[in-house]
Amino acid sequence: MNKAKIIFNQTMMISTAVLFGMGIRTAILFLVAGQYMIEWQWYIPLSVVLVGFLCALASLVLYDETDNESHQRLRVVIHFILVLGIVSLFGYLFDWYSDLTGYLIIAIMYVIIYTFVWISTLWMLKVDEKKINDAIDRIRDEE
Amino acid sequence: MLVRINKADSYENESAVINAFEVTENIRNAVDILRNNGSSIPVISEGETLMVQTSSIYYVESVDKRTYVYTKDECHETRYRLYELEEILGINFLRCSKAMIINIKKIRSVRAEVNARLSAEMLNGERLIISRGYVKDLKKKLGV
Repeated sequence: MNKAKIIFNQTMMISTAVLFGMGIRTAILFLVAGQYMIEWQWYIPLSVVLVGFLCALASLVLYDETDNESHQRLRVVIHFILVLGIVSLFGYLFDWYSDLTGYLIIAIMYVIIYTFVWISTLWMLKVDEKKINDAIDRIRDEE
Repeated sequence: MLVRINKADSYENESAVINAFEVTENIRNAVDILRNNGSSIPVISEGETLMVQTSSIYYVESVDKRTYVYTKDECHETRYRLYELEEILGINFLRCSKAMIINIKKIRSVRAEVNARLSAEMLNGERLIISRGYVKDLKKKLGV
């Protein structure tokens, strides 16, 4: 997968996950507070895609060919913090939250979305891995 | 395509004739397979030139402008450059990084890593990395 494709896929996944998170949030607000209508500023959907794109760019820190596995784990931690920083900063600029409670809700959503994106990515990698191993099984030399 | 196989008297007398309207990718692959089953390349081992069967090669690596051919438990230097071997070795071999060509028939299994590259375990237990950029070529080669 080239870098442009990775960024595109990640942007789509993150935006979908954010949309899912917003859906869950509004559903909770409806169930808890009986809130039927949620109003957003005109730029909110676009801001979601923009932040999705920036978070996808940040994911490039994960793709280094020379790293060993322990470095990769460290990169995941750095990536988690970096993306949290992007979400916090742009969330503040785009008025996704206005107080500490709002920020905590965003942070919890972020953790859920981060986990969702990682599980999806790992699942896709594992699907590919299985397909490749099955194909290798068919042609492998006998030793 | 009609395929006819006639029994030969010996291995030395084995041959294949392909009557094709057009030399397609499939025909080229078939020729490659037929040629490579018996082909070998010259390598240098302790000052002597030896011939190594391409089917016994696990991988080829370029280090400091020198090219090394690895078999199950031996390593030999060759005068060929990596890009030349990429042409010579045929369809069972895949460029898996800038400095390495791997024999996909010698891979026991692959493991996906977080950064989208693959870690390949070879039949002799060695672990090699298939870079992210070449995973697509591997999948294409395997028809995945």
